[in-house]
Amino acid sequence: MHDISDLDGRGIPGGFIASDEFREAARAQGDALGFHARALYVAHPIQDRTDDEMKALAREAFPGILELLRDPPGGSERS
Amino acid sequence: MSESILLDPGSERDPVQRSPRALPADLTGRKVGLLDISKPRGDVFLDEVQSLLEAEGAEVVRFRKPTFTRPAPTELRQDIAGQVDVVLEALAD
Amino acid sequence: MAAASRFVVVTKRDCPTCQLVAPALAALGASAPLEVLNQDGPGFPEAIADKVVDDSELDRSYALDIEIVPTLIRYDGEVEAGRTEGWDRGAWQALTGLTDLGTELPEFRPGCGSLTQDPLIAPRLAARHGGGGLGARRISLGPLEDAIEACFERGWSDGLPVVPPTPERVLAMLAGTSREPGEVIGEVPPDLVPVSIEKIAINAVMAGCRPEYLPVVIAAVEAALDHPFCMHGLLATTYFSGPMVVVSGPLARRIGMNGGGNALGQGNRANATIGRALQLVIRNVGGGRPGGVDRATLGNPGKYTFCFAEDDDPKWTSLSEDKGFARDATTVTLFAADGVQGIVDQKAREPESLCRSFAAGLRVVSHPKMVQAADAFLVVTPEHARVFHDAGWSKQQVTDRLNELLTIDSDELIQGVGGMAEGLPAKLAGRTFRKFREGGLTLVRAGGQAGMFSAIIGGWGASGEVGSSPVTREVRA
Repeated sequence: MHDISDLDGRGIPGGFIASDEFREAARAQGDALGFHARALYVAHPIQDRTDDEMKALAREAFPGILELLRDPPGGSERS
Repeated sequence: MSESILLDPGSERDPVQRSPRALPADLTGRKVGLLDISKPRGDVFLDEVQSLLEAEGAEVVRFRKPTFTRPAPTELRQDIAGQVDVVLEALAD
Repeated sequence: MAAASRFVVVTKRDCPTCQLVAPALAALGASAPLEVLNQDGPGFPEAIADKVVDDSELDRSYALDIEIVPTLIRYDGEVEAGRTEGWDRGAWQALTGLTDLGTELPEFRPGCGSLTQDPLIAPRLAARHGGGGLGARRISLGPLEDAIEACFERGWSDGLPVVPPTPERVLAMLAGTSREPGEVIGEVPPDLVPVSIEKIAINAVMAGCRPEYLPVVIAAVEAALDHPFCMHGLLATTYFSGPMVVVSGPLARRIGMNGGGNALGQGNRANATIGRALQLVIRNVGGGRPGGVDRATLGNPGKYTFCFAEDDDPKWTSLSEDKGFARDATTVTLFAADGVQGIVDQKAREPESLCRSFAAGLRVVSHPKMVQAADAFLVVTPEHARVFHDAGWSKQQVTDRLNELLTIDSDELIQGVGGMAEGLPAKLAGRTFRKFREGGLTLVRAGGQAGMFSAIIGGWGASGEVGSSPVTREVRA
């Protein structure tokens, strides 16, 4: 959150990915900083997954990742 | 004097909260920074994200924080800001 | 005294009259319900410390609208039945019904000012209690946010730190004008957002103005919104220009503006912040930002702030007079200005010679072959003005002579002449043109006593009907 807030101030938009466990912490941090970064939350836990499971998670999350990184005119094309 | 309340100097057409900077309309030819926060196995996730982004026509630049326990050092933030159009930080769990 | 009477006395230890009446307060407290609200902490008066309420936050004093301490208030039930300020033995005895109250004290002592009236404290209290008629949206910062950084992050700054516009500071700023905070004075381009006196005050706080500058800032905003100034076009142009503010008249000196040495430079708070406040209004209220509607190719450093006072010169008419106002009026003139171009002449002793130097410098405004395009201001300094004064030349005579000298044979101006493609179409050959349109050249006086330099300030290439004309507004309190 600190990094995304700082980079936004430097002119670089973006967002972060975290597991569900971070949702409340991110909200509180955003309130404190006065800045709520774009975020994508994925299912917890992560660290015990196999490589294949991690890659599958990335593919599953990818439409949401695109929404953190681009804003096409007329809305995102998630189909 | 407390400075916790400020009066809006502007048109009041924006949201009260500071809103994130606008995103690019598409990623073709854009430089996307992937900032790895250095949690175990985040790199596997980001490798896959990188190939998916490259398939979208984006150019990916990878960065890595020394530790997930602290915000990125200023020098790293300057590197990112100097090189990319948009940034993704991952993966906190 | 009515059976249900009770008393409230507002005091401060720091006030000699309050100390004087302490025995009377003890006597009153012994015979009736009494509450002493002390403004500078607990424990005074010592003899009746159990009846003292610490009102150092001043909330109760504010609610009671206290102007003087001590103030004695009598309540019959919940209703205020009367009050008296300072020590007036007869009045205290009448209000309390205690005919022997304070007989050992002098008959009369005036009180002291209530802390609620302190000019540094009053706006804070008004802000805390929702007073002052403020209507702007309030933005709560997060506990980790630094207010100055938050202003940068929200895009409210021109690149330099701004003073965070707290309600207290804005209320203090609004004390600089008699106009209502809610009065709307126009719509600010490019987004055509209505701007109130309060919004101007908020941006004046951010710019670093003192409250006494506010009437000048308001007049500058009014001038910027005047149709002939063409603020929208000026903002949107790729050209260098931005609004320059010249303040002419007695208020300029009274608020400490600089029209003397380094008048166009740094170091004077009024000059610096008045010009900056105008730019912040356009940025924040109107939404005019570089990279957005502001399309300037290079811009110029005056777009942070460009504001100075005209120097008083009894031998010449003032800018206020030239614009049709009284000499003792204070006016603000806005000009769509580029940067400063120096003109050096350390030899001229005759008006004609100096005029020729000025004309040669003025000829190059925007391009030596361009005519009837940009306006210009010529800032004449004391040592150059003296040459004209010694010869008895009025400002108008100098202006007229410059316009004569700047009447140019168009054969010099045609495209390709002098090896420069820039210029007038060939069909305009064989004529004469004045460099500046009618009224396009304005002279003002400013500058330090030493230095035979004056300043040419060229304007936006689009002047008059097709672009911007200088606009003058009188400053109102």
